[in-house]
Amino acid sequence: MKKTVTTIALVTALLQPVLAQAASFSGRVTLPDGRPAFGAMVTVFDADGERRQTVYAAADGSYAIRTPYAGKLKVRVRLSGFKDAAAEQQAAAAGSKQLDLTLGTFANLGEMNETLSASAFNARLPWPNVARDRPAFVSQCNYCHQMGNSWTRIPRDHEQWIAEVEKMENMLAMQSQAQGRVIAETLWKGFDGKPFDASQNYGASPELARAKVREWLVGDGYTFIHDADVAKDGLLYGTDEGHDILWVLNRETGKIEQHKLPDIDLPRGGIFSGMKLPIGQFTGKHGPHSMAQTSDGRIWITNALSSTLMSFDPRTKAFKTYPVGHDALYPHTIRVDKNDVVWFTIVASNQIGRFDPRTEEMTVTRLPSNGVLRWITDQLFPTLMRIGSWFPDQALHLNLSTHRFFGEQILAFPYGIDVNPVDGSIWYAKLYASKIGRIDPQTMEVKEWDTPLIGPRRPRFDAKGIFWIPAFDEGALMRFDPGTEKFETYRIPTVGKDEYETPYALNVDKRTGQVWMAANNSDRIIRFDPATKAFFSYPSPTRVTVLRDFSFTEDGQVCSSSSNMPAAAIEDGRPSFICIEPEGGAADRTALGS
Amino acid sequence: MPTENRPGSARLNALLMVVLALLLGYFGLSANGYLVPAAIAVILAVLLWLGRAGRIFKAAVLVNLMSGTLLVLVLAFGDFLGDSKLDVSGVSLLINLMSGGPAVALLAPALLLGLRRGKPLHAWFNRAAGAA
Repeated sequence: MKKTVTTIALVTALLQPVLAQAASFSGRVTLPDGRPAFGAMVTVFDADGERRQTVYAAADGSYAIRTPYAGKLKVRVRLSGFKDAAAEQQAAAAGSKQLDLTLGTFANLGEMNETLSASAFNARLPWPNVARDRPAFVSQCNYCHQMGNSWTRIPRDHEQWIAEVEKMENMLAMQSQAQGRVIAETLWKGFDGKPFDASQNYGASPELARAKVREWLVGDGYTFIHDADVAKDGLLYGTDEGHDILWVLNRETGKIEQHKLPDIDLPRGGIFSGMKLPIGQFTGKHGPHSMAQTSDGRIWITNALSSTLMSFDPRTKAFKTYPVGHDALYPHTIRVDKNDVVWFTIVASNQIGRFDPRTEEMTVTRLPSNGVLRWITDQLFPTLMRIGSWFPDQALHLNLSTHRFFGEQILAFPYGIDVNPVDGSIWYAKLYASKIGRIDPQTMEVKEWDTPLIGPRRPRFDAKGIFWIPAFDEGALMRFDPGTEKFETYRIPTVGKDEYETPYALNVDKRTGQVWMAANNSDRIIRFDPATKAFFSYPSPTRVTVLRDFSFTEDGQVCSSSSNMPAAAIEDGRPSFICIEPEGGAADRTALGS
Repeated sequence: MPTENRPGSARLNALLMVVLALLLGYFGLSANGYLVPAAIAVILAVLLWLGRAGRIFKAAVLVNLMSGTLLVLVLAFGDFLGDSKLDVSGVSLLINLMSGGPAVALLAPALLLGLRRGKPLHAWFNRAAGAA
């Protein structure tokens, strides 16, 4: 018996490298007229449709892809401006197939429109005054999700759009009443369902043909994985803000686990129970949001809805909860400094949290209010939220909120945060006040700078201590040198006429210096090369791709979570973990001799 | 009623209270919770103008000032209250709004000083008793 088991184990071990790259395909992708389809995405879906891998066709139309899948597989080719083509292939273990694919043509404009990204639709919105009226829409509507995808561009009458805008306000959108009326009217007129002509160019490049994308579907249509983070164990962790779940993906095996956060004595929605959070999408109380890991392996999680900090030990799977403070509202992005001290922004009460895991000492510091109006909000907003919690799910307290007449400007909103690797100082970005700030970790002295573009969201440092900041509201990238205190700005190229981009977050690969950022309006990931100041575009294989935080694996993959709200609006109807391997496509070509 | 005896402080404060109430009412068009203090402030302004219901008027102004002061103190120094801090500040805020909110709070110190015995506002509210 023992010998048999040993033999099986040996055979399994020998087969593993073969199974690990079970189905391989190579060939050419052509346009309907026979020309090579440069930049076309060739995607192989596994047999049960839970995982997929994608490579991009080279300038001559060639592609090659190795996958770990076997069985009856779907192979799909996709390129903007053309109709998808797909083939089903029975792939044997270690099988390598030649498969040429030809993109199709659309039967009509309506069919073509279905393939456009949200950016093409919201570019057509008839704003009474774009400069005056669109910023609130970008800031508050694109905040959580795309506006213009197949879910959000459904034609509605005027009253229905007003109701939709009010529904978003009940979930913390901060448009003023006047802004809300303009938004509702514009969406009513703009999302009319009529077909239109448009073209999008995702900018194929030789760099693109070297890349590979992997996706793993997670959860269901209600799952909301806010952030994803690669931990030291190589696993990919994802915080499900709506359901108090920590998802864990093993990228090698594709196995996905979930760990339920411990209960807390709060109602559904936590201290935000007074809001009208959508039932189904928000069933939890903690609202796990962002993650960072200390050197002892513990993963630290900001719980936005319960205003707590939580640790998760990957070895014991144990959680531990730490209250942040009585008037802290919405702990947000979290980072760990070189001394293993945990720092996090607290967006809605304009504070910074500092937690020392060794002493378990929690310190909450109020940041500069940036004006009388914001000072009043800083003082009163937590109280309003408490009043709201006395009347659950009714959002009654919004009837006392000054955002109704001043908009989101009543809040400073310290959002992203990072640690300067050069001097250990803590830096943050205020999304609504459009400022960045530096905190001296010893003296807690704060200094702030106005950003040249509005909407600084989730910034990061590179290895040299340059601060890279996405300007969400203006579709741009900002560079700040703390030494010279000078900004530089770079506009992100769009994929179509009159379109704009919404860069939510970025991260800098400290080994290569490359800046990777989300381009959530057009289903792309953007790479910026600081040396050449060039942007490279990586179209997502999946329509409705909204990415939040980026994290890097040891082998150079760039990972994130696809977390449009709701996930049901994503092409698959479910969220996913997604990783880009910048040289993965090139490696497959080499391995397959293509 | 002998309106010619209405003191200047009653005229001025009633006028200011109405102006502040209108401002709150304007905000209330967007955030209708502000219509409550706006309406209360208008009622108090009318009482002040007419010199009627002095005890109610004084009580409302006093409650407004005390709740407002408590709100500010709790927000500034109330961490020792623990999780109850926001409950206390929340109740204070609601009481303040139901007694006229900022439209009354901004005038409350002057009004309460004027309502002391021997002052014109005190005499204005108590002129019937004095005549008797």
